[in-house]
Amino acid sequence: MGDPAVQNDAAVEAKVVDEGIDRGVEALTPERIESVINQVFEKETGARLQAYVETCVHCGLCSEACHFYLSNDKDPKFSPVGKVKQTIWEMVKRKGRVDADFIRNAVEVAHTQCNLCKRCAMYCPFGIDIAYLMLVVRRICHKLGVTPLYIQDTVNSHSVTMNQMWVKEDEWIDTLQWQEEEGRDEIPDLRIPVEKEGADIMYSVIAPEPKFQAGLIYQAAVLMNVAGMNWTMPATPGWDNSDMAMYTGDNEIMARVKRSHFETARRLRVNKIVMGECGHAFRSIYDMGNRQLGWKMPPIPVQHAIDFYDELLREGKIRIARKFEKSVTLHDPCNIVRGRGLHEKSRSVVRAMCDNFIEMHPNREHNYCCAAGGGVINCGPPYKQKRMAGNRVKAEQLAATKAEVLIAPCHNCHSGLEDIIHHYKLDMEVKFILDILYECMEKPE
Amino acid sequence: MSKTVLVIKWAVFILIFITSSALCQYDMVEIDNSVFGDPARPPSVFEHDAHNENAGLDECNICHHVYEDGKKLEYESSEDMYCSDCHSVKSENGSPSLRKAFHMNCKGCHLEQKAGPVLCGECHRK
Amino acid sequence: MHTIYQFVSGPLAWIAFILFAGGCIYRVAALLHTVYQKERFIFSYMSWRHSLNSIFHWIIPFASVNSRKHPVMTVVTFVFHISLILVPIFLLSHIVLWDEAWNITWPALPDGLADVMTVLVILSCVFFLARRIVLPEVKYVTSASDYVILAIVAAPFITGFYAYHQWPGYSFVMILHILAGEIMLIAIPFSRLRHMLFSVFTRAYMGSEFGGVRHARDW
Repeated sequence: MGDPAVQNDAAVEAKVVDEGIDRGVEALTPERIESVINQVFEKETGARLQAYVETCVHCGLCSEACHFYLSNDKDPKFSPVGKVKQTIWEMVKRKGRVDADFIRNAVEVAHTQCNLCKRCAMYCPFGIDIAYLMLVVRRICHKLGVTPLYIQDTVNSHSVTMNQMWVKEDEWIDTLQWQEEEGRDEIPDLRIPVEKEGADIMYSVIAPEPKFQAGLIYQAAVLMNVAGMNWTMPATPGWDNSDMAMYTGDNEIMARVKRSHFETARRLRVNKIVMGECGHAFRSIYDMGNRQLGWKMPPIPVQHAIDFYDELLREGKIRIARKFEKSVTLHDPCNIVRGRGLHEKSRSVVRAMCDNFIEMHPNREHNYCCAAGGGVINCGPPYKQKRMAGNRVKAEQLAATKAEVLIAPCHNCHSGLEDIIHHYKLDMEVKFILDILYECMEKPE
Repeated sequence: MSKTVLVIKWAVFILIFITSSALCQYDMVEIDNSVFGDPARPPSVFEHDAHNENAGLDECNICHHVYEDGKKLEYESSEDMYCSDCHSVKSENGSPSLRKAFHMNCKGCHLEQKAGPVLCGECHRK
Repeated sequence: MHTIYQFVSGPLAWIAFILFAGGCIYRVAALLHTVYQKERFIFSYMSWRHSLNSIFHWIIPFASVNSRKHPVMTVVTFVFHISLILVPIFLLSHIVLWDEAWNITWPALPDGLADVMTVLVILSCVFFLARRIVLPEVKYVTSASDYVILAIVAAPFITGFYAYHQWPGYSFVMILHILAGEIMLIAIPFSRLRHMLFSVFTRAYMGSEFGGVRHARDW
């Protein structure tokens, strides 16, 4: 017989202080829990949830897919199916009659011990989508008002400002103009065309870029100008392509955020949206936000940065002036590799720029997750230690490459892997593809 | 006991064994399944006289039937024929295959009468 | 004895087959109906090509990464499932019964091979049981029903093996065997054994999402 789903000793020992959860749990009543769970089961889920719960034969073969499981010395609580047992199974079995402590554990499992990376979906012989099940748990927790504080704050920001970082409209425009000015030192006629209707491309970024990584906008502007693209960036809300609401189960805000993004592109009458090196934003635009709005595929063609760079290099619009000298390895972000199959394109870009490329293993669709994505890093400092402990395998995988530079073409992966590298004291530098591409490309004298 | 006596004793024993089993051929104890070539199961146990006595069967054609146009002929019997004369190993002309004929003849009656073996291993004993 | 035999092989067998067939049809129909009612978008993502591609990669041993990571489990599970399905259908004694009842027949497995396959099914069940008890990640998610299901599957094969060798208590075990088989048939649509029906759909959907939208392998 299996162990009880909630191990009280462990739960007490591992209890973290998170005001979002603590206050939310305090306000719970058994009636509310039961009614919310059943409401989600009846109104918002259907055959998928039922088939996934009823088809699982409890074989445990998904376990080794998960970096949390592998890194926590194969503790079964961290296996994908172990997380399902601690959450959805019990909710289904007890028809929603679970207590507040159960919800407290469930929210922690679903929000901070699963990156929704879907690696386990490739390891389940039946193709059970455990990430989907974890999202259902997050949705229930959202409706119960129990969501980790930090990520809830980003969702609040989305709701108020249509961007993730409370960036005000004037700050945004100011940042673009500032980067344009900076860029003109290097390329005198460089432009960041704002609000150019009828441009070919709308370039969109996530809000952390203007907030504290403005250099990335600079680099992208140089790339666009050198390649001679007809591009623009919007001045209005809708410029941010990120979406933390998708990860808290706040589907209504996800829909508002995505609608605003798509409508901005439509208003500017562009042919396509090109987005920076972000994974979750791509998932939101290409997979989840569009579906929430009723679009099978995005209403406007969406191109991820990797695909865009690859196209520019293949068409000769960007040329490599000198190869990057340091040895590099490449991380495959879940949302654009398992989510969009861009792994060969990222390799072709990396090979075009770098002479010394070392594969990490496993790679491509089977690469280990960064442990930051899926909203986990956005749950903030209370969970950082667990996030570090939960991805020892990634550190081992990185260390084995002995590469000097780690290319992580996704914001969440980038930040998460930087944390991993510091925590495990690896001698490695993390870069975006664009960092290297900017450095190595041919630029006008 | 001397060696010679022992040998003679064994010889007599073996002789009796061989003749007795030869004589018993007449007193049928199992169904002859040689026509099957490579039978999948041991031959079915069937002690003809004991069975009939036990079951109180007087009429031969209860088992040794004759069918014409799918109807059993009431006054005809076929004990002078081999079952396989009509029922070949593979089913032909609408008459059941030999295997099925045996099964239906024996098991069918046993089920009707609620007497006699009906499970595989009750006849095909190992 | 005759009455019991006639009961288990007559009305009970009818009930078992009707519940099995009806239950399977009902389950699949209900699943598709729920999809139609609540998640109709799923149909628009389904693709025959990607579904079959995914299914083939998972029904061929060692064609998926995970099946290569667990070679023993892979061999056991394939031998188990193949034997589990083939033996009951192609066992001579069963075909004889179909022939008697419905006048239909098909080629049989040699009894010796069927006997070996039966033993393999039983040994596989022992292996699955051991996995549940020994491996922490399996033990953690094991519930009482998992043992019941395993017993339901093993029972027809254990009793069948015993009966085939005509060990003492033959006729009693034969009746148990028939009952065990009927219980297993009924259990398929009404327990987690319905993965026999549903796994095709879950696999096909994941294959379609990965192949059609995500442009990535799911094996």
